[in-house]
Amino acid sequence: MLYGRIILPDVHLRYPLQGELAGLLFISLCRGGDIVPRIGVYICHCGENIAGAVNVEEVRKYAEQLPGVVLARNYLFMCSDPGQELIKQDIRNGLIDRVVVAACTPRTHEPIFRKAVEDGGLNKYLLEMANIRDQDSWPHWQDKEGATEKAKKLVASAVAKATYLEPLEDRFVEVTRASLVVGGGVSGMFAALDLANMGYKVYLVEKNPSVGGNMAKLDKTFPTNDCSACILTPIMVQVGTHPNIELLTYSEVESVEGSVGNFKVKVRKKQTYIDWDKCTGCGDCVNACPAKVPNEFNEGMNNRKAIYIEFPQAVPKRAVVDIEHCLNCAKRVMGTQPRIHSKTGEPILAPCEKACKTGACDRSRAYNPEGELIELNVGTIIIATGYKVMDKEPFKEYSPQSPNVITAMQLERILSATGPTDGQLKRPSDGEKPKTIAFISCVGSRDKRFHTYCSKVCCMYMLKEARLIKEKYPNINIYIFFIDVRTGGKDFEEYYNYCRNLGIRMLRGRVGAVDELPGDRLRVRAFDVDLGAPVELEADLVVLATAIEPAPALEELGRKMGITCGSEGFLKELHTKLYPVETSVKGIYIAGCAQGPKDIPESVSQARAASSAAAVPLTLGKVIVEPLISEVNQRKCSGCGTCVQLCPYSAISLVEDKGKLHSKIDEALCAGCGICAAACPSGVITLHGFTNTQIFAQIKALAS
Amino acid sequence: MTNEQAVADIINLSEGDSSLANEIRELGGEELLECIQCAKCAAACPLALAGFSFFNKRVIQAVLMGLRDALLDDSSIWACQSCNRCTEICPREVNPFEIIQAMRRVAIREFALPTLSIEGLKSLYDTGHAVYLAGAGNTRNKVGLPEKPPSTVANPEALKELQAILRKTALAELGIIPMEEPGV
Amino acid sequence: MKVGFFVGCNTAFNRPDLEQAVRYAFPALGIELDNLEGQSCCPSWGTMPSVDVVGWCVVGARNHTIAEEKGLDIVTVCGSCYGSLAESKYKMDTHPEIKEQVNNILKDFGREYKGTSNVRLTFYYLYHELGPDKIKEAIKYKLDGLKVALQPGCHTLWPSKVYYDKEEDPFHPRVLKEMCEALGATVGHYTRLIDCCGMGAMRSTDMEKSLKLVERKLLSMKSEVNPDLIVTGCSSCLIQFDTAQELLRNSKKINFEIPVLHYMQVLALCLGADPEKVTGLAKTNVKPIIERIVG
Repeated sequence: MLYGRIILPDVHLRYPLQGELAGLLFISLCRGGDIVPRIGVYICHCGENIAGAVNVEEVRKYAEQLPGVVLARNYLFMCSDPGQELIKQDIRNGLIDRVVVAACTPRTHEPIFRKAVEDGGLNKYLLEMANIRDQDSWPHWQDKEGATEKAKKLVASAVAKATYLEPLEDRFVEVTRASLVVGGGVSGMFAALDLANMGYKVYLVEKNPSVGGNMAKLDKTFPTNDCSACILTPIMVQVGTHPNIELLTYSEVESVEGSVGNFKVKVRKKQTYIDWDKCTGCGDCVNACPAKVPNEFNEGMNNRKAIYIEFPQAVPKRAVVDIEHCLNCAKRVMGTQPRIHSKTGEPILAPCEKACKTGACDRSRAYNPEGELIELNVGTIIIATGYKVMDKEPFKEYSPQSPNVITAMQLERILSATGPTDGQLKRPSDGEKPKTIAFISCVGSRDKRFHTYCSKVCCMYMLKEARLIKEKYPNINIYIFFIDVRTGGKDFEEYYNYCRNLGIRMLRGRVGAVDELPGDRLRVRAFDVDLGAPVELEADLVVLATAIEPAPALEELGRKMGITCGSEGFLKELHTKLYPVETSVKGIYIAGCAQGPKDIPESVSQARAASSAAAVPLTLGKVIVEPLISEVNQRKCSGCGTCVQLCPYSAISLVEDKGKLHSKIDEALCAGCGICAAACPSGVITLHGFTNTQIFAQIKALAS
Repeated sequence: MTNEQAVADIINLSEGDSSLANEIRELGGEELLECIQCAKCAAACPLALAGFSFFNKRVIQAVLMGLRDALLDDSSIWACQSCNRCTEICPREVNPFEIIQAMRRVAIREFALPTLSIEGLKSLYDTGHAVYLAGAGNTRNKVGLPEKPPSTVANPEALKELQAILRKTALAELGIIPMEEPGV
Repeated sequence: MKVGFFVGCNTAFNRPDLEQAVRYAFPALGIELDNLEGQSCCPSWGTMPSVDVVGWCVVGARNHTIAEEKGLDIVTVCGSCYGSLAESKYKMDTHPEIKEQVNNILKDFGREYKGTSNVRLTFYYLYHELGPDKIKEAIKYKLDGLKVALQPGCHTLWPSKVYYDKEEDPFHPRVLKEMCEALGATVGHYTRLIDCCGMGAMRSTDMEKSLKLVERKLLSMKSEVNPDLIVTGCSSCLIQFDTAQELLRNSKKINFEIPVLHYMQVLALCLGADPEKVTGLAKTNVKPIIERIVG
């Protein structure tokens, strides 16, 4: 059927009109004069990849006679410059106003051809690709005839869809030029510093009173054996004093709304019961407090007070009252007036109040126990919440009730100068120096009953701890029980060899039992696979390398942001290989152990990758919203809410307008999956780029 | 060091029987392939501690490598105590005990079982007890108990029922012990 | 209270004095024992379990149904029986396809395994149903500080998931200890408490290796506790400790003898049983112990 051809002017239709309606209107405008869109078909040889199985010329001839096609060409490599030029020329010469490229996969090449179409002068969404490589020539390599027939069908289907393609416009959303980093450990701090140094405002939220995270608890770090606090504190100070960083410690994220470029985050600043503007961190109140609470920073091996400063190098160095354990000395309940001494006439103050010289500790103040809820507006978010060390309790076969069976982090605190023993190597039961120490690997890791994954850092940190001890006390016997020795990072193999050379004894064979011996000693029982015999070792101290676990409530935090955790409990990245810091939610990034167990060099790399990625929208100042997304015909929407519950991106909400409920799809969040469009009982949601008209035309072409 | 292991001979892996692993999995050792040979089970196994040449971990590795003959020629698997300490601590939920039981089941199907086991099965069929001491009647009387315990020994009908049940099990198909129907 | 008594093989034929101890102690504590007439071998590990999963479970299930029909739990005195019965029950309860195959065979005999009877071990049953305090009140004779080393036995502890009566920590068992203390014993701890004694398949396969294991245990008990009496929780362990010491003395591996009794025997003595009946078959010299307890 020949239709009259009228050269249509290049009109980019803006589509404030609703989906389907616009498409049909557009088509009927054309069809009104019996005008059919002019489709150009370009078939790629892809070298031998396609031409080796498909008779390209035959397909080209077939394409030529399809309805709506005005020309069909084939070329060796369509994605090459001359290939693209073919398309551009045809457009510029006014020959075509739709483009079909039959070639490889749109996953990698659609952007290239879209750009070519746009450079030629057409709306870039007037392009349809047919994948006659991955879906045709490659799987049907042996069947040349079949492959050619299938290619014809695929091209016919693409042509049918191209007939109904509409011009679409990218949208742009303004970006708030600020970022939120959740977590003030080494990863969070580096991410925040990079962004701040780029000139962006950064809110750094940390749930503990000080930044520093787990790295602040370490004595030395492998493979350089740097003093952890020495290399970390300068970073902490930078973070604490940077003009672009607003440090919100002792705070937690409560809710996140919005989308990339415009997140609204509610942060709860927990109640410290201290005026941090006045507090100088002098520590007099801490000295005065009589309470005893297990010290989390020292992994429960000694006590802290109810009013405390987290550790000596804390940033910010401010006191916090742990109100749950506060004894309310002298009946000084918070927010009450002090009693007056009957004889002296002086107010009876609590020891902490009395000790404080700046008035920061003032128990008469009416503090709100809920703290303060603030709202932040940010363009991007980075989650760097770190990890938690697994407890030793579940491992009954290792006699965890013995005081001399400790976790590696507890040993780290013992070795540390700011720890419970001031850095002296003393075993917990009697303070004696151990003569024989056994390290046990993979406690809770590589274990189906707890965590199937390998915690990655334990082999190296056991070697490190063993080395630090052996270098200082060469006469101490140290045995490390591995399953496998995993020391793959840079300079790690050298470290391992050095440790062997120090005389640290290494065995392969997972420990099966630890018996308690008299004198709080322990008997470690394993099977040495290299000796091929069961072995027993009497030790004074047993160190368990317990697993790295996701930070508490990580799943909940992820859910607030619309991010899921993997089966192992860590936040899920967008693509394990290529997009390790992005997530399924645009504008939210992850870094460090929140994404999975890793060491400090890797955490820092990832943090800086995340800040780089998070800076992109901030730098562009605007975010492109692809138009291949769903749209609701709000007049026809019945407000049933089916789509709201089904959307995997939490992009749809019900809004009220003139007393009537209808769905609203957030353009920035919509990923164009089409679930809502398919599920809508009233059929009033259109997925642009995959409309019903287009799909039915494809089906018809394939079936004929 | 007391483990007697076949360290003198070189083990030729090319002669391994790759069907052994599947056979084990079908005979009750389903989780065989989960094992990462970490040796935690071996640390606690009485067989290893007593110096047997095969014990839980080594049986599994031998099965994975298809060393059927080495396992059948050795009596270690029949010394397993069924203590299940390995099951309790295995981090991969392999259930090494079941692997050993499965290997015994393979061995039985090749008639490679020790005399004591044959005797135990025969005793089970003939009396309803794997261990039956003929002079036990006297011992029981000595402490004031009836000669026969209230089991299949004192209840012939119960024994007949047990025998009929046993005839419906795989034991009957294997022909290891005579299991004719009485009176037939 | 009533419970089914599963006698097993070794207890019935080798150490019927232990069987007498149970038959005395339970009723003395107010618990009636049902004979579970027609019971058979559990079946023992070296027999049906080594042949076939369904074959094992069907023999075990037959025993279960005898108790189920009477609405009673099963109490065993031997650790191996305890393990075999509990594990076959667990298998059937968690694998419907095995249960189905078992019941397909049993139906021709008018039996159906339902899983309604629990498998218990003598002193665990008493611990959970009566408690150490009631035992303490019920006994006539106290052990008066008698120094005791325990052999809980492997099967009482593992695999913990299949047992109805559980220890809080299967690597640091407390039940047998508390039950002995309820009788007035002083229980000494030794570091090889939960190691296997070597009785069972190992002893049948290689006596020398089996003796190696029990030797290690005896030496640990002697040097760390130096007990007056060894109390076992399992009848198999009883036989091993009772008979191995003479063999070890003959090969000069040890130079002592420690009397050995099962917990139920000690309990029966404390409740006033006839010593000849409940301990008469011991190979080790238990007379001094009996004299000390009963006078």
